[in-house]
Amino acid sequence: MIKGGFAGRILHVNLSEQRTWTEPVDDALARDYVGGLGICIKLASDLIPRGVEPLSPESVFVLGVGPLVGTDLPSSSRMYAVARLPASGTVGWCGAGGYTFGAQLKYAGYDHIIVSGMADKPVYINIEDARVDIRDAGAMWGLGIDDTCESVYRDLDAQAGVIAIGQAGENKSAIAMAFVDRISTLGRGGFGAVMGAKNLKAIVVQGSGGITVSDRKRFNKLSRSLLNSFREYKYLKEWQELGMLKAFPMVPIDVYKRMKERRTACVSCPVGCKEVVRIPDGPFAGLVKHTSSALNLFTPMMYGMQDPWEAVKLITDLDSYGMDMFEFFGLMGMARELAGSGVISLTPEEPEIDLTSFSSMSAWAERIARRQGTGDLLADGFSAVLEKLGNEAKQHAPALIKGIHPYAGPGAALPWDRFGTMELGQVLDPRGPHVGSGGSPTYFAIRPLEVFPKHLKRMGIPENVVDRILGPDRNKLHVGRLLRYSHAWFAMLGSLGICARGQVNRFYNADLCAKAYEAATGIPTSTDDLRKRVDRVWTTFRELNIREGLDASKEALPDQWFRESGFKEYLTGEPLSKKQAEEMKKEYFDEWGWEG
Amino acid sequence: MKYEITYIQENCSGCLRCQLACSRAYARSFQPSAACIKIESRGAEYRIIFTKDCVECGFCADNCLFGALTKTPKEVTA
Repeated sequence: MIKGGFAGRILHVNLSEQRTWTEPVDDALARDYVGGLGICIKLASDLIPRGVEPLSPESVFVLGVGPLVGTDLPSSSRMYAVARLPASGTVGWCGAGGYTFGAQLKYAGYDHIIVSGMADKPVYINIEDARVDIRDAGAMWGLGIDDTCESVYRDLDAQAGVIAIGQAGENKSAIAMAFVDRISTLGRGGFGAVMGAKNLKAIVVQGSGGITVSDRKRFNKLSRSLLNSFREYKYLKEWQELGMLKAFPMVPIDVYKRMKERRTACVSCPVGCKEVVRIPDGPFAGLVKHTSSALNLFTPMMYGMQDPWEAVKLITDLDSYGMDMFEFFGLMGMARELAGSGVISLTPEEPEIDLTSFSSMSAWAERIARRQGTGDLLADGFSAVLEKLGNEAKQHAPALIKGIHPYAGPGAALPWDRFGTMELGQVLDPRGPHVGSGGSPTYFAIRPLEVFPKHLKRMGIPENVVDRILGPDRNKLHVGRLLRYSHAWFAMLGSLGICARGQVNRFYNADLCAKAYEAATGIPTSTDDLRKRVDRVWTTFRELNIREGLDASKEALPDQWFRESGFKEYLTGEPLSKKQAEEMKKEYFDEWGWEG
Repeated sequence: MKYEITYIQENCSGCLRCQLACSRAYARSFQPSAACIKIESRGAEYRIIFTKDCVECGFCADNCLFGALTKTPKEVTA
């Protein structure tokens, strides 16, 4: 039944047995779970053992890309992993711009990789088309992400996709992530530790094959038409010039321009939000950094660091260790309070914890990544620290959801104060706090309601439901009801392999997604079919987490969100009460038809 | 129609749309390895190389939205 789009095979790697094998992508699996994120979730549901310890040899993770990845449909390079994560204990989706890895995986002949077991020494998985080896990674172990990738690139004569972990992952830190092609981040919640616990340093893939589509004529027409929409977009050049800073101008543009080297893009993306920068002067002059966004590089300035180049250097170090910068700063803020109140004692050689100081933060980044001194405690993440230190420590904790610090909201790195779907979604995404799955028109604060219906229609929301979300007079906004469809829209884009970033997904709509999927795969798919299938994807994701212990207590709204200078109601800007937010949660579950 | 393809390597983003367009047209598959244009990455740089099989159709330039590739019609001589 599958006639195109899919590479057609799932690669299994058992690290304990040093064995690899493949199986075909089952027709019914492709039809019912679409691909990419959807199939990752279904495979994880089937293969992750109930109650498994995230860092045990029995733990399994699944990687994968959707059926549009590798084609020229604009911005279809998204990749996902699903694993049980150590920071939250949840089974989480981990998403990344696939850069070259996603497409290379397809060209090598695989849609998904399932990794099980644990190697008895550091290894990496090397994939060259049909040839798959588990290789010794002794020379890579101990290297940061950049050096690991460079060591791979040096030995190859063609482009390769690389997923790698740094020292934080090797040392099984709960705030460790993996990086895709040293640029995109994979796995807030500790996916890097999941790889590290398996002694898996990296996955390298080179593919020389190709991807065909079922209906070439129809697919090419859709793709060409869509590319023209990008071409005619009046802000395209500005996006290409500024990247994510166009949406979030965190630093003066002249500062950014002084360091910008070049724009880079995931395979097939005509916008490009990745970039290469070079620090122009000062003690770190000449440092080159590949990043998923210059925006990230200035995050330390949100915590009070003054020098932009010190900020860039610090994030370069955090990325190289393979560490989640938001969790790092959240943990350091809590550690400062714990040390100040005497709950923990720093060792004499440990520097004072000062979030505004480069030297302090740089030293602490290393201490956590290498598990030195108090860094060993902090490396295990919020839940472990609080469990170890007991009630005395809890009063110093920031807002936490499922053991992870939500990074958007009052007192967080992204001080967004209007309470839209991305903000509420931090509580209701089963994986833990992440804004990625909660996209909707509320992505931009204070957007006029008049523009909502066209975006809601684009997300595939039926007209009769729009009334429930905006009210019959279209003058209200039920954030909880809208979030239910944000999650479905996210599942749709992720299962196909389309980027979810606002500047890209604005060109897509549910009808177009269904047509592109059908033209690529040959699987008969109406818009309604696709809606039902992605609802199945997100429902399976939630059921999987309920099986693993998700309950209402783990989705409590943080009290910190409702204190002075807390969240504001999206439309009016009035302070948001906890009662209002609780009502939104009820509406979310009601809209799904689930019990809350 | 044949085209003169000019390129500005520093504008290349590595999106590979050029390779996808070329292979779609001539290999009937999305297959960068089969494209007549190669994008080699070297650190922070990309190198654009045309193979001897390139027929100068200009599809690659049509698909470049970063200004790395442009095409101008070649004069037809008798």
